Amino acid sequence: MDAPGKPTRTLILAALLLGAASLIPPPVLAGSCCGGGGGAALILPKGNKALVDLTLEMEKYDGFWNQDGKHIDDPAGSDLRQYRLTLGTAARLASRWQASLAVPYVWNHNRYSGNVSSSDGLGDSTLSLWYEALDDLSIWKLKSLKDLTPSVLIGPSLTIPTGISPYDDRTSSFDVTGRGFYRLDGNLQVDKTFRPFTASVALGYGRYLERAVNKEYGRYVEPYHKRLGNRTSASASLGYIAVLGTGGDQLTGTASISYIDEEDGTRNGETDPTSEFRKTSVGGALLWSGTDRDWSVKASWNHAIQAQGWGENFPTTDVYGIGVRYGFR
Amino acid sequence: MGSVSRRIMPLLVAVLLAGCNGVGTDLSPSGADRRPPVTPGTTGPSVGQIAPDFTLPDTLGDNVALSTSLPGRKGVVLYFTMWCVICGDEMSHMRSAIMPAHPDVGFFAIDYVSGTVADARASELSNGFANSGFTVLVDLGNPVLHAYAATMGTTVVIDNTGIVRMNENYGTGSRLQAILGGL
Repeated sequence: MDAPGKPTRTLILAALLLGAASLIPPPVLAGSCCGGGGGAALILPKGNKALVDLTLEMEKYDGFWNQDGKHIDDPAGSDLRQYRLTLGTAARLASRWQASLAVPYVWNHNRYSGNVSSSDGLGDSTLSLWYEALDDLSIWKLKSLKDLTPSVLIGPSLTIPTGISPYDDRTSSFDVTGRGFYRLDGNLQVDKTFRPFTASVALGYGRYLERAVNKEYGRYVEPYHKRLGNRTSASASLGYIAVLGTGGDQLTGTASISYIDEEDGTRNGETDPTSEFRKTSVGGALLWSGTDRDWSVKASWNHAIQAQGWGENFPTTDVYGIGVRYGFR
Repeated sequence: MGSVSRRIMPLLVAVLLAGCNGVGTDLSPSGADRRPPVTPGTTGPSVGQIAPDFTLPDTLGDNVALSTSLPGRKGVVLYFTMWCVICGDEMSHMRSAIMPAHPDVGFFAIDYVSGTVADARASELSNGFANSGFTVLVDLGNPVLHAYAATMGTTVVIDNTGIVRMNENYGTGSRLQAILGGL
């Protein structure tokens, strides 16, 4: 790669700040207390008609930030984990339109010094529609400003409450695998590859739909209406693409930072002052893709920094993931 | 839309729908009031029933019985905690927004995840609830959790005649406030 001039350096720096979220699943509420599910972003590359993705994640809980942002440890001797196996697919509907569906299956394992629980079930599923507004012309050398055009995708997604929520028949919070609410998101995904670097940013804003509740943990209660708070999410990352050998296989390493915020929910229109949360986390991922790019394998890690100020009213966890993806041309 | 796409999408949708049927999720929730009628004079966890009595150790090892905690008070509140983020938030809200208005009500946090009194005491201290107004009781073996059909965040109000007046999730705290105001 040629040594870039000052304008190019500025643009690359901007790209670095923007970062590549498509490899990293957005943070999701998960675990025995908060529901789970959700899957990684499923973006279909140009030239692919469809893809199938299978990802296994293990989320290990390690305390939480309280409402003041102070980190509190989990009870001594506890071991709280959630495993998620997410089957996802994306398909091209038209030249610039694609849709994806991610369906997780969730296993909860919670061990305290005085209570042990294991359960499993579907998590909440996500149906997404993407419009490819701009195409990224992946480049090695900057020749004109047009070469800096990133890929830009926009579209809605719908979270479907297929998981086990507190409003279903299960009687224990340890069984919860979903939140029980439909959510409609607007999403923006921007990616740019300037070989050997790749960067991207993902933004989302979601609104939960209000629902009626007449049951909590298997017991009927006086009916009420509930809505969770609006959700804002953002993630950015930077990757480096290494070509392996002479065959054309690629290994992409990515570092990312993610932010999520959910406002207070309401119950019968009254604000629930205990429900707002926010979380910032960092992550890394390795993605191997074969010469023909049909097969790819990924490994990822997402870490919540436990220091004060990095989150509020939310569990701190590490999420380890491995996945395999096949693209149909 | 290519033939591959036409094959894969329906397959995934079928998997999704099959899973929904299997797990019994609530995709179209109902707001109908389906609370079953309660027979007065029976003992149980439902509103209107006689509260099941219990005796549990607190975090200093002293036994506390429901039956001896009611006299001299308008009632007691049981809050079931597993020392999680939601539990801490709701207990803090109760401490700041509800306890000051009800000095004649006893507030008990039922720890149902600790296996020893010492573990419960450690969690009480690390979560900042020592001398908080809550008496933390240790539900070793979970008899009280089961007797009250409770789980994380379940909030039970028992009046001074021993009748259950509320048994549901803490929510915003306004239901608890209203019921305590009516004791």
